[in-house]
Amino acid sequence: MSEHVDGEVMVELLEPEELPGEVADGPELAVRATGLTKRYGTLVAVDRMDLAVPRGSIFGLIGPNGAGKSTTFAMMATLLRPTAGSIEVMGANPAHKPRTVRRRMGYMPDSLGVYDNLRVDEYLEFFAASYGIPRAEWPELVGGLLELVDLAVKRTAMVNSLSRGMKQRLSLARALVHDPELLVLDEPASGLDPRARVELRELLRSLNGMGKTIVIASHILAELEEMCSDVAIMEAGRLLASGPPRQILQQLGGARSIRVRFADGTAETFTVADDADQASLLRRLVVDDERDVVEFIEESGGLEQLFMSLTEGIVQ
Amino acid sequence: MINPVLARELRERMRTGRAFVVIGVFLALLILTVFLVYQGRQSTGVIEFDLARQTQLGRDLYEWVLFVMLALVLFFVPGLTAGAIAGERERQTLLPLQVTLLRPRSILIGKVLAGMSFLVLLLVAAVPVTVVSYLLGGFRLIDGLKGLLAVVIVAILHTTMVASLSAFTRRVQTATLLAYGFTALLVLLGPLMYVTMGIADSSHGNDQANPPAVLVAVNPFSVVADITTGATSTGESNPLRAIRSGVAEAKANNNDSWFAWFPEDDIGARFRLVNDGPSGLPAWVVGLAGMTLLAGGMAALATRRLRTPAEVER
Ligand SMILES: Nc1ncnc2c1ncn2[C@@H]1O[C@H](COP(=O)(O)OP(=O)(O)OP(=O)(O)O)[C@@H](O)[C@H]1O
Ligand SMILES: [Mg+2]
Repeated sequence: MSEHVDGEVMVELLEPEELPGEVADGPELAVRATGLTKRYGTLVAVDRMDLAVPRGSIFGLIGPNGAGKSTTFAMMATLLRPTAGSIEVMGANPAHKPRTVRRRMGYMPDSLGVYDNLRVDEYLEFFAASYGIPRAEWPELVGGLLELVDLAVKRTAMVNSLSRGMKQRLSLARALVHDPELLVLDEPASGLDPRARVELRELLRSLNGMGKTIVIASHILAELEEMCSDVAIMEAGRLLASGPPRQILQQLGGARSIRVRFADGTAETFTVADDADQASLLRRLVVDDERDVVEFIEESGGLEQLFMSLTEGIVQ
Repeated sequence: MINPVLARELRERMRTGRAFVVIGVFLALLILTVFLVYQGRQSTGVIEFDLARQTQLGRDLYEWVLFVMLALVLFFVPGLTAGAIAGERERQTLLPLQVTLLRPRSILIGKVLAGMSFLVLLLVAAVPVTVVSYLLGGFRLIDGLKGLLAVVIVAILHTTMVASLSAFTRRVQTATLLAYGFTALLVLLGPLMYVTMGIADSSHGNDQANPPAVLVAVNPFSVVADITTGATSTGESNPLRAIRSGVAEAKANNNDSWFAWFPEDDIGARFRLVNDGPSGLPAWVVGLAGMTLLAGGMAALATRRLRTPAEVER
């Protein structure tokens, strides 16, 4: 039962139909990229990338520094024109219909830009105005957003007096000003303390619960693993793997280690191929062999191991 | 709805107090001008009970004030507006702005309006100083207003040019240097070319040197000097008067046209720019038209530069 499938590094991109989380109305994919390529002179920042972000998912884009994550996001966010290939965001092409995309997408760049002489509420009001939201709606909107990102007490504080984590949350609130269906967040957790990270994760989950699709780039793998319904791993502009984390792990290595501790203090490690395998192992131990299992832990290295095995540290 | 960029800029500017420092410096320098001119004229003779001298002084004061005002505006605009777009880039606030529904032209217009509203404030603050010279007499109220209006329009055009330049730089410092360099060219390039071409001209033939007069007309100072011509033009010399007669002379030398070059020269016929006849257009119209074209062209380029999606993030 513990055969080891040979690790095939390249995982096929899932066909859109196979992807979970389909939504009845509108396009099923929040983002669909086909052969997406961005070149800066001779440097290929994004190389023939195929990407499918299901609606309603939390989609993590993982990759080492310089992999091309921010470049990919800038193309999604109507800021950069692809050199080749095509991309569709909420059913529209950002290069041809940027305003259609902008109405439905909130973008948080990896840099934190804030104005020097503006209060927190004025900052959000400014962006509300820039999205054409009527003035009468501002007070309630700003109050609600600040509540959501837990900055209500800082409403009249100066923006540049906020801590980094607070600025980050303000930045997120700004991306939410026009109630977009899709959030594109470029490393929103960088520079946050552990508590703030947990809070951010909770916040993103609840936004996802409201039906928003979230695309997020991050280096913090454990965090993505726990939060994301889908991930894509890229390096040097190329997409190495994509799909639900578990599925990728399975297709990649297949085998996972299960550490079992028994009541008599002994422990054993088993190797299983998949969920069915794992379930039958548990049944065999507990039901058939009637052993006193006190701990049954999956010891997969998770995304981190996956990441390390997939990427080679290529630097462009 | 009021332009969001304008609203935000005004709020920020008023909050920093820097605006009031600038207004203070501006007024102080204007008052100093009045004082120095008054002192200078007074030392040449008694003014009291001499109506002719007094009106002359009024006219003179007015022209000096206008000249210094324009010089100060040209000096302050680069400092106040150069950071318009470059500052957004430097603070990394441009990207969030570009993904909103604001159009590039609204961003630019907001910046220009913000710079402008400040300049208008500056000039309104300067009205009392101009009133002093008006009370002394020597010019009609309408001419005085025309002069101020000309300064305002030139300032708007200059602000547009500087804000547009700002779209092409990443750092406020670079943008500021560029803006001052550009302003120097705007003021000096035409007259310098006029002089150089005049020298080249006189080395060709033995007739009068007469390069195209448009070179000296498209100039902030020429516009303001020319638009205030209406009143009596007697009195002591001052910069505005010198500029006014310089422009008039350049035009007269050229068969009363703005664009012609070497009109009576055989060799020159080949170099003739435009074979226009005597032009009835006053210098300030030609000057404003030229500067408007320049500002419009620069603003169009800047808007294009701000448009996204772009080839390179910038
Ligand atoms: N404007 C640009 N001009 C030239 N090269 C660029 C430009 N922007 C990005 N690059 C290059 O493109 C590649 C991808 O950069 P990108 O910022 O997308 O990586 P990233 O995955 O976001 O990295 P990080 O994790 O460090 O944020 C890098 O090699 C980078 O040097
Ligand atoms: Mg990045």
